[in-house]
Amino acid sequence: MIRLYHVSKRYGDIHALQDVSLGVRKGEFCYVTGPSGAGKTTLLRLLYVAEPPSEGRIWVGGVDVTDLARGHRHLLRRNIGVVFQDFKLIPTRNVGENVGLALEVLGTPRETIQRRVRAVLTTVGLGGREEESPRVLSGGEQQRVAVARALVNDPAIVLADEPTGNLDGAMAIEVVEILQAVNLRGTTVVVATHDTGLMERFPYRRVRFDRGRLVGEVPCRL
Amino acid sequence: MPSVTAHLLRRAVRSLRENVYLSLVATGVVASATLLLGVFLVIVHNLQAVTGGWERDTHISAWFAPDIPVERRFELKEQVGAMEAVSAVRYVSEDEARTWLAERVPEVAPVLADLGPDVLPASLEITLAPGHDDPEAIHRVAETLALPEFDGLDYGQQWVERFNAFLSMLRILAVVLGGMVALAGVFLVANTIHLVVFSRREELDTMRLVGASDRFVLVPFLVEALLQGIVGSGLAIGALAVLHHGFLVRLQAAVDLGVAGEPLSFLPWPMVLGLGLLGVALAVTGTWAAVARFLSKVA
Repeated sequence: MIRLYHVSKRYGDIHALQDVSLGVRKGEFCYVTGPSGAGKTTLLRLLYVAEPPSEGRIWVGGVDVTDLARGHRHLLRRNIGVVFQDFKLIPTRNVGENVGLALEVLGTPRETIQRRVRAVLTTVGLGGREEESPRVLSGGEQQRVAVARALVNDPAIVLADEPTGNLDGAMAIEVVEILQAVNLRGTTVVVATHDTGLMERFPYRRVRFDRGRLVGEVPCRL
Repeated sequence: MPSVTAHLLRRAVRSLRENVYLSLVATGVVASATLLLGVFLVIVHNLQAVTGGWERDTHISAWFAPDIPVERRFELKEQVGAMEAVSAVRYVSEDEARTWLAERVPEVAPVLADLGPDVLPASLEITLAPGHDDPEAIHRVAETLALPEFDGLDYGQQWVERFNAFLSMLRILAVVLGGMVALAGVFLVANTIHLVVFSRREELDTMRLVGASDRFVLVPFLVEALLQGIVGSGLAIGALAVLHHGFLVRLQAAVDLGVAGEPLSFLPWPMVLGLGLLGVALAVTGTWAAVARFLSKVA
């Protein structure tokens, strides 16, 4: 489902990723782990084509996205749900509208959007809070709204950048359980995290990065 | 299709509501740019009206030689009047010429009385037909009037040529200045809308990242621009009318601004409509330029 072949990413003199070759199978759950500055976020950004690699090639869902034209990127992104580290919620829209945005861009009818938004918000524990502004939510609640937006259009791939970073232990477990449930329905899930406790509790495959290099891998122990 | 239109309108109105201050600023800028263009158009329109009047007034004076019998003079008047290039001919006798001058310049009346009745020659005042008032046509008509019965012709050849050169230059200047004003308007609107877009960059960035196409982002902005353009143009045309009727016309009455006594006129309806469309085009073009520039920079 995802394949990187000798991928490097440089920002001036900084090597964010160096010669990374990696594959994630369809329906797999995979952690990308490592300390801050290891290149986890950069890896995810390359996967949803926020920027191109400096070297190497990347395939997502069987499509070579290395040099994907601007005009086609949105089509790829419609099949990828992304949980951003900074949530990227629109403050002028309410919770329901933020979640529904991923369907709105597809031209989904309003009634369908409302129905699916209600369902996914219930799944992440925010049922009935569609009308609230993201401004009044706690960090953890905002994170769950971001998760809901990533899942609402049933994407083939979910990329989550530190999805439990702002959550307490119990809530973090709940969010990973949601991602696990999505994965069990066949969705490929890639989670960037450095929460070792969580990775021990849900021992899926781990790929470890350090200073932009892929330095180790732990297979799934489920 | 109606649901798509309704959806776009809903998004545009919502966006206008969410960004009231910047929307008002953008509408104000559209109105100002359109008003600027409107003032320019009023000036050009009135200049054209005045110079058009001058063009229509282009005529030839043919002075009769002394001792040409009156019957011959009227024969020549008939002949000249039958020419295709001539729209009207008026015979001015010596007496009429003297009276006309004495009325216009009262100071010379006693001198004219002393000099006798034939001090000014009789003449034919020839008005040229439309389409025959350019320098070449006037020259051609003058050549056919080179008869021994006429002592001289006055058609201000040099003046006509200079006047036509001036008119051509004025038209080019109007097009160039109009283009510059329009470009300045687009620039002004584009930069204002760029501020609007900049203030919403995170929202637009997020839209792109969750799968929005450029069109999904751009079209509501264009619908907003259309609404702002309509409101801005309406305000500009209203302000222009107030400025014209409430200020320029009164100013003209007070200090006689009108050239050749022509009253300053407002733009005719087709031009008002054109100005309104131009305002809408300014808003839409400026917005399109600003949003396209933003979109080219996001992933």
